[in-house]
Amino acid sequence: MPEPIVEAVDVAKVYQLGKTEVHALRHVDLLVERGEFLSIAGPSGSGKTTLLNLIGGVDVPSSGTVRVDGEDTSKLTERALTRLRLDHIGFIFQTFNLVAVLTVFQNVEFPLLLQGRMTSAERRRRVNALLESVGLADHSRHRPSELSGGQRQRVAVARALVANPPLVLADEPTANLDSKTGGTIIDLMREMNRRDGTTFIFSTHDPKVMSHASAIVRLEDGRVVGREEAQGAAGDEAR
Amino acid sequence: MIATDLFIASRNLARHTRRNLLLASAIAGVTALLVLLGGLTTGMREAMLHSATTLMTGHVNLAGFFKITSGTAAPIVAGWEKPWDAVKGQVPELVYAAPRGRGWAKAVADGGSMDLILAGVELDREPGFEKIIQVVDGSLAELGKPGTILLFEDQAKRLGVKPGDTLTLSAPTTRGASNTADVRVGAVARNIGLLSAFNAFIPAETLRQLYQLKAGTTGAVQIYLRDADDSAKVAARLRGALRDAGYRVMDPDPQPYWQKLMFKVNAEDWTGQKLDVTTWEDEMSFLSWIVTAVTWLGNVLVTVLMVIVAVGIVNTLAIAIRERTREIGTLRAIGMQRTQVLRLTLMEACLLGLAGALLGALAGAGLGAGINAAAIELPETMQYFLLQRNLHLAIHPGQVAVYVAFVTALTTVAAIWPSAYAARMRPVTAMHHAG
Repeated sequence: MPEPIVEAVDVAKVYQLGKTEVHALRHVDLLVERGEFLSIAGPSGSGKTTLLNLIGGVDVPSSGTVRVDGEDTSKLTERALTRLRLDHIGFIFQTFNLVAVLTVFQNVEFPLLLQGRMTSAERRRRVNALLESVGLADHSRHRPSELSGGQRQRVAVARALVANPPLVLADEPTANLDSKTGGTIIDLMREMNRRDGTTFIFSTHDPKVMSHASAIVRLEDGRVVGREEAQGAAGDEAR
Repeated sequence: MIATDLFIASRNLARHTRRNLLLASAIAGVTALLVLLGGLTTGMREAMLHSATTLMTGHVNLAGFFKITSGTAAPIVAGWEKPWDAVKGQVPELVYAAPRGRGWAKAVADGGSMDLILAGVELDREPGFEKIIQVVDGSLAELGKPGTILLFEDQAKRLGVKPGDTLTLSAPTTRGASNTADVRVGAVARNIGLLSAFNAFIPAETLRQLYQLKAGTTGAVQIYLRDADDSAKVAARLRGALRDAGYRVMDPDPQPYWQKLMFKVNAEDWTGQKLDVTTWEDEMSFLSWIVTAVTWLGNVLVTVLMVIVAVGIVNTLAIAIRERTREIGTLRAIGMQRTQVLRLTLMEACLLGLAGALLGALAGAGLGAGINAAAIELPETMQYFLLQRNLHLAIHPGQVAVYVAFVTALTTVAAIWPSAYAARMRPVTAMHHAG
């Protein structure tokens, strides 16, 4: 049986706000198999973003363990954790988070430059192929400010996938988009999931978006309150 | 990756044009000031070298003192050709060497009187002399005739004489008597800085007659080298060679000969001839405090300005980094290491510093060239302190490059703290920063 891509065991995250302790996550257990298209659902403040941050290694748990692609994130050095994010995880943010001064091409190319493994020609081929697949081949020289919200999120999807990571995390990727554009972004992510087998974990509180998921993990007040496997096409494809 | 860092850094700088232009202007201002102050002190040093090596000293001097009794010294080298012949083979850097008589006299004319330091020259032995002395009235060739004198403009003005006029020189001798000689003004030359205020030239033979010295006696053999910076090295070599040849040689002492004559040699218990090898810097040491003072004053001024600019850089970068917290957080999240963030922000400071410093260096060099071209004549008191008649800034490309490198490095160092803050930022904090 293949190793799960994400395994969280009894994870808790406590923030200190002055003298008050805020329990963002309590006793969370989560197993995500490779190739899943998993939605983390729940109301605002339920702990979705915190859980994604812990899985993504941008934050560490107060207790419990999070293993990503076999690595226990709390045991890694800062440098190794950064390397894990670079090589194993792609990020898609709610507010796109593109580098304003770089062009579309340069934004997508950036993780490859950080990896430093590919030649210039290889990078160009890879970036152009991805821009083609997200429908932005004609916009490679544009800056983010010259694009619509949907186009920016497509760039973010391309950037997340360019280094071919086994796992992509998306924090409310459609929250800043209208429903039609949001739908096309989820379709795009789903297509990449189907085509390349990349595992996607995305947070949302939009039922329409959730309907695309192969599984939904529900959070409330920092606790996992249920996991639903999708019925029908979505679930079958994921499995 | 460096190219991308460089690109991001330059784009980030361009994004906040007004703020960065202001900061770059401040850096440029300090650099320009540094270039101008450097040009001024170098100009002073060069003016000192120029006037000193024309009027008072060679790059190296084979000089000495002769004492008839232990308390009566004269600044002369008797039979100078012998010791010089013994050691001149040791100076491959030599351009030429010439004897110069040394003396002091009161000049009295119908229009006034003044004290003069006299140099006894042999024009045919000094090919460099006519290249430096600019005669404004009369003829330099007159100095080749016995019983003549070359004065500088201010001296002629003060004495109220012109070429063809006669003045009387009255020189005290070691025996306490005063010898006199009438000399004719052969030429009046353009002033050469401070030292031309009290130096004048007469033929070497006339000086010997004034002091009743034998032929073959001079004050010093002035040795001119290809590069004045070799002076100390050559002087040390000559001292050794003279000692090896059996001459009595004084220990190195960075004082001009007249200070040694007045305060040192007469107090020493010896008689006869002692040789003294000096450099132009030794002979000019009584004036070096002026250059040192101006250099220090300039350094203090520049340091204060640099501190102000450094604080500005720290502040501006701290604001810029705060504004870009989300961006830095994103870069950290997608895999940029802390060291890479540090490099990126330092690169921004370095680029800003380099641009400002280059701009300032160009402005400073341009302004300096303009000042030199304008040939601004300094007020008389300033001439004494700045050792030059016209304000002259010696701005050399190598020195300017050092200033540019220094200012750029300082700007980069000032950016270390805000850059380290950026690098320490946790991606999760940065990504959720609202500012």
